Amino acid sequence: MTRSQLRLLLASVVAALALVVSACGGDDSDSGSSGSSGGGNAAQQETGAGKTGGVLKQLGGTDVDYLDPGHTYFTAGYQFAYATHRPLYSFKPDDAKDPVPDLAADKPQVSEDLKSVTVKIKPGVKFGPPVNREVTSKDVKYAFERFFSVNVGGQYPTYFSSIAGAPKTPTKGVKPISGIQTPDDQTIVFNLSRPEGVLISSALVMPITAPVPEEYAKEFDAKNPSTYNTHVVATGPYMVKNDAKGTLTGYQAGKSIELVRNPNWDKSTDYKPAYLDGIQATTNDSNASVAAQQVLTGSHLSLDANPPAAQLRDAVTNRKGQFVQLPGGGFRYFPLNTTIKPLDDVNVRRAIVAAFDRDAALKARGGKFTGDIPTHFLPPGIPGFEEAGGMAGPGFDFLKNPRGDMAVAAEYMKKAGFASGKYEGNEELLLVTGNVDPIKSQAEVAKAQLEKLGFKIQFRTVPQDAMYTEWCQVPKKQVAICGGAGWFKDFTDPQSMLDPTFKGANIFKEGGNNNLAQLDDPKIDAAMTKAAQLQGAERPKAWAEIDRMITEQAPAVPFDWDKTTIIWSKDVNGVGNPYYDALDFTFTSFK
Amino acid sequence: MGTYIIRRLLYMVVVLLFVTALTFLIFYVLPSADPAALRAGRSPSPETLAAIREQLGLDKPLYEQFWLYVKGLVLHFDLGNSFVNNADVRELVLDRLPNTLFLISGAALPWFFTGALVGTISAIKRGSLLDRAAMGSALLAISAPVYFTGLVALYLFASDIGLFPLLPGAGSYQQADGFFAKIPTLILPWIILAAAFAAIYARLTRSNLLEVMSEDYVRTARAKGVKERRVIIRHGLRAAITPVVTVLGLDLGILVGGAILTETVFGIPGIGRLSFDAIERGDLATIQGTTLFLALAVVIMNLLVDILYAFLDPRVRY
Amino acid sequence: MSAGAPELLTGGDEALTIEAAGAEREITARSPMQLFWRRLRHDKVAMVALGFVLLIVFTAILAPLIVKVVGTPQPNITNADLTDDFGQPLGPRDGHPFGVDKLGRDVFSRTVYGSRVSLEVAFIATALIVLIGVTVGLVAGYYRGWADTLLTRSMDLLLAFPVLVLAIGIGVACSGRDGCAGGLIQPGLTVVIFVITLTTWPYMARIVRGQVLSLREKEFVEAAQSLGASDWRILFREILPNLVAPIIVYSTILIPQNILYEAALSFLGVGIDPSTPSWGAMLSDAASIFREAWWFMTFPGLALLLTVLAFNLVGDGLQDALNPRNTK
Repeated sequence: MTRSQLRLLLASVVAALALVVSACGGDDSDSGSSGSSGGGNAAQQETGAGKTGGVLKQLGGTDVDYLDPGHTYFTAGYQFAYATHRPLYSFKPDDAKDPVPDLAADKPQVSEDLKSVTVKIKPGVKFGPPVNREVTSKDVKYAFERFFSVNVGGQYPTYFSSIAGAPKTPTKGVKPISGIQTPDDQTIVFNLSRPEGVLISSALVMPITAPVPEEYAKEFDAKNPSTYNTHVVATGPYMVKNDAKGTLTGYQAGKSIELVRNPNWDKSTDYKPAYLDGIQATTNDSNASVAAQQVLTGSHLSLDANPPAAQLRDAVTNRKGQFVQLPGGGFRYFPLNTTIKPLDDVNVRRAIVAAFDRDAALKARGGKFTGDIPTHFLPPGIPGFEEAGGMAGPGFDFLKNPRGDMAVAAEYMKKAGFASGKYEGNEELLLVTGNVDPIKSQAEVAKAQLEKLGFKIQFRTVPQDAMYTEWCQVPKKQVAICGGAGWFKDFTDPQSMLDPTFKGANIFKEGGNNNLAQLDDPKIDAAMTKAAQLQGAERPKAWAEIDRMITEQAPAVPFDWDKTTIIWSKDVNGVGNPYYDALDFTFTSFK
Repeated sequence: MGTYIIRRLLYMVVVLLFVTALTFLIFYVLPSADPAALRAGRSPSPETLAAIREQLGLDKPLYEQFWLYVKGLVLHFDLGNSFVNNADVRELVLDRLPNTLFLISGAALPWFFTGALVGTISAIKRGSLLDRAAMGSALLAISAPVYFTGLVALYLFASDIGLFPLLPGAGSYQQADGFFAKIPTLILPWIILAAAFAAIYARLTRSNLLEVMSEDYVRTARAKGVKERRVIIRHGLRAAITPVVTVLGLDLGILVGGAILTETVFGIPGIGRLSFDAIERGDLATIQGTTLFLALAVVIMNLLVDILYAFLDPRVRY
Repeated sequence: MSAGAPELLTGGDEALTIEAAGAEREITARSPMQLFWRRLRHDKVAMVALGFVLLIVFTAILAPLIVKVVGTPQPNITNADLTDDFGQPLGPRDGHPFGVDKLGRDVFSRTVYGSRVSLEVAFIATALIVLIGVTVGLVAGYYRGWADTLLTRSMDLLLAFPVLVLAIGIGVACSGRDGCAGGLIQPGLTVVIFVITLTTWPYMARIVRGQVLSLREKEFVEAAQSLGASDWRILFREILPNLVAPIIVYSTILIPQNILYEAALSFLGVGIDPSTPSWGAMLSDAASIFREAWWFMTFPGLALLLTVLAFNLVGDGLQDALNPRNTK
């Protein structure tokens, strides 16, 4: 993203953080999690009243993206990262909005001019074998520096680009960053080139802050790609099983991961109870239905991801204590490319949204237990959600009926100049989707909905990994509708939800574009620029208004406010962590 | 014979090189997942992408990439790195190989012997009810695709979900630890896989045997007073079974990569499934690795079969 | 076939040691053609199967009519009302004799229309395979020399390539926006036909070549050559007619095989548009939910099985009628 965007993004999070950093029981007016039936939501979880001991087996078909805390960026990787490492700050299972100090001793101190952030580190935290020594601030500094190298390939450098001396492009090999100072072993200071101290301090929850011992890791980081991924050393309550040299014997890529207790973890320095003795995760289960079935009927098991529909139904109807639903913190949508005729006409877009049976699209993903049908864009759990109207939304007529309303649609088509109430032209619209379910199925629903209004669709399936990077995010490819788009939080802040996705200034023509609808409305852009600077209660209000403005322009069909369902066996006290939307190994126990 | 083998080996190398080149070419056109983008993660800037691409050597021209690949292959048996799976391709392949071999060899024995036996008996008792019933069911078995019969079998007999829970169902192979524990989980897949092939082999054996039996030299043997059973086994079967054995060899070679349908239905992590997943995900490195490997399997089996043929059939001389 | 087309082909290869000239040597009052028909007519099983084949063909042609008469919705109409809260389809009921699939589409309609896909692909692909295979086989077998060597070597190389990988790879490669071969091959059925043809023609060519090799040594060819007949004349008047029988027989094996091949490719999700009703694709969708939604797997599966079986029986019957000595 461009510098100005960045500035705005950062400034915005500054404000958001005003809530977080100065949180004294700070009450925001938005809901912590969307209440859903049965098994309970995040805030109501028992945070482990069970016994200590036992080995949990997690079944799953997805491997971690990376075990290297500097490289990981997906849920699967985060689940293991937060169980085996101690970033400066992290989240307790009952609260995804206010981070708590983990490796840090206390809240971060932001200077008056917002250009420096100081964090004190807890003494007595040690690295696991084979490093075995106490963690110092230099280890956090090294973790940052390696993040910016091409060898490690950290995936969210923009959040930290304001650190003085932070490289603008990935470095060959690990280079020192002058803006990070370690005056003593327990103190780390981030000097910033821009007044974005509040943003930085809020971003310190991300795995980049997990300490990495330089003397041990540098031989791995010298390789490209870094081989630290198979030699990671832990600071958290658990560690991946390794040998005396540090090689992860417990990690079989694409097959399984084994976590054992970290012998050097000191319970008195941590808030996590860590009841389990170990976790064995399989990552190559090809049959999700079978795995889910086993989890529900078996013992000491859990599932890594949402269960398939049949098992979801079973859990929700028959097994109330065996699951939890966490807000996904994001929205799924079908962006309508506003640069392609006839989607450039706002009335045509409104007609499409009005006619769309969004319930059917949600059903293709598993129905109402996998998410709610949105009435605007900011999802539950993000500040600004309630101000934007909550579940009921701003009340536009074209979003009123989740099953679609052909009469309303016809009206809008007429307004757009199609007297018959349906599209009369000959353009073929390109719809690109991934070749796996549920994206494939949901896109088929989209195709059918568009065809209902008379549109001609050219339907293309491509490898899932390519769908975004080669098609949807590349404006040149002229994808009219992206079949599998979704946007999820990195932080609980409304700007990070709406800015990259709907701001005209954020359209990247060459690629890596996230404003898939290529919405370019000067009024909305201006409002975003202003709202980015706000703090306090004004902020969510302003962004809620922006949400309303965006929704009014109908740049996309929002069809899912995602919910993640985590299931486990009857004898498990499962606890989910709503920050990374997976089972929290450090709080789960057996009955 | 010796020179023949050497010639064939050289030819094998040529074929493999060709296969590698062709794969490189075809999948270059494939809408594959850009490895640089995969490593770069969400929303990378164009500069980041360019830097990573350079680091990975992706900006080099195609023939240079190909040359580096072949070099790594020949010198280090290095099949490259899969960015999608984040693992070494060679490890992925070697990891899956035993599973596929277990599957097909376990099925191959019953299918060959059943097929040959049924075919022989059918040929001997040709025209009888037994013959017709056998050939009828063989035809039925050939007409049913493995994924259908597999699903039906699971629906009926899988221990977790079937109507008559008898045998371990889909996904159980992976759960089982150890060689012996895995055997019961393979019974259903073996039966399904074997059924389809046994049917073909039965028909094949039968028609071959019938043809051989009407040859002059068999008639001569009979006229000489040789006992019928000896005639069949010594003269008839020996000649008839040779082509069937060669077909077995070829099929096994092909099946290493081709058992993908069975692997899919029963959740067995084999090479066929690996290559298919790789293609679906545009994982170029794995595609190349598995394709090469599969071609190797086919070519080796072809060679072995030809040598075997030369031994079995005295008329063939090189 | 589980391992793809070649299985049956390599097997069938050996079974087809047909003496094409055999029909010519018999001295009978009736022409070979008449004899052939008589034998075929008397084969009850083959006739029944032929009837079924015709039934399928008519179903394919008259699919829209059938669906209208039965009253089920068109195969591509999705209907979210027919799935439950979890997106699971509902079973056979009023108005939907075969139930619906995950998107609420009627299974009966899709099964009926599926016959179109199967037959279209199988027939066209087989026709192309015969065309290409016979041409190449003729040239290679008759002219020998470098043409033959080149052709056989290329066939060998093509055969060494893992067939399914090639098929899947081409299928996926050509499913992008513009298709491949400069837009000639568009995603959809064209890709499937292309893939099947490309990976199967060598087998036909090899068989034809083998036949031509033996035929060209026969006296009647020598006689024609000494009479000064041109190569073309020999190929078309002398050799080709003797190839008709094995070509027909092989085609009757190919058709059901290609039906299964297309179904396998669709099962793997290669090539076709997900909304196209193909039996293979339906089975693939059913695989994840067949425990609850048995209808979704059963009807397309049975349709596939019966169709292929019928074609196989007809093929067997034809073989027997053409060459009474070999298998009966």
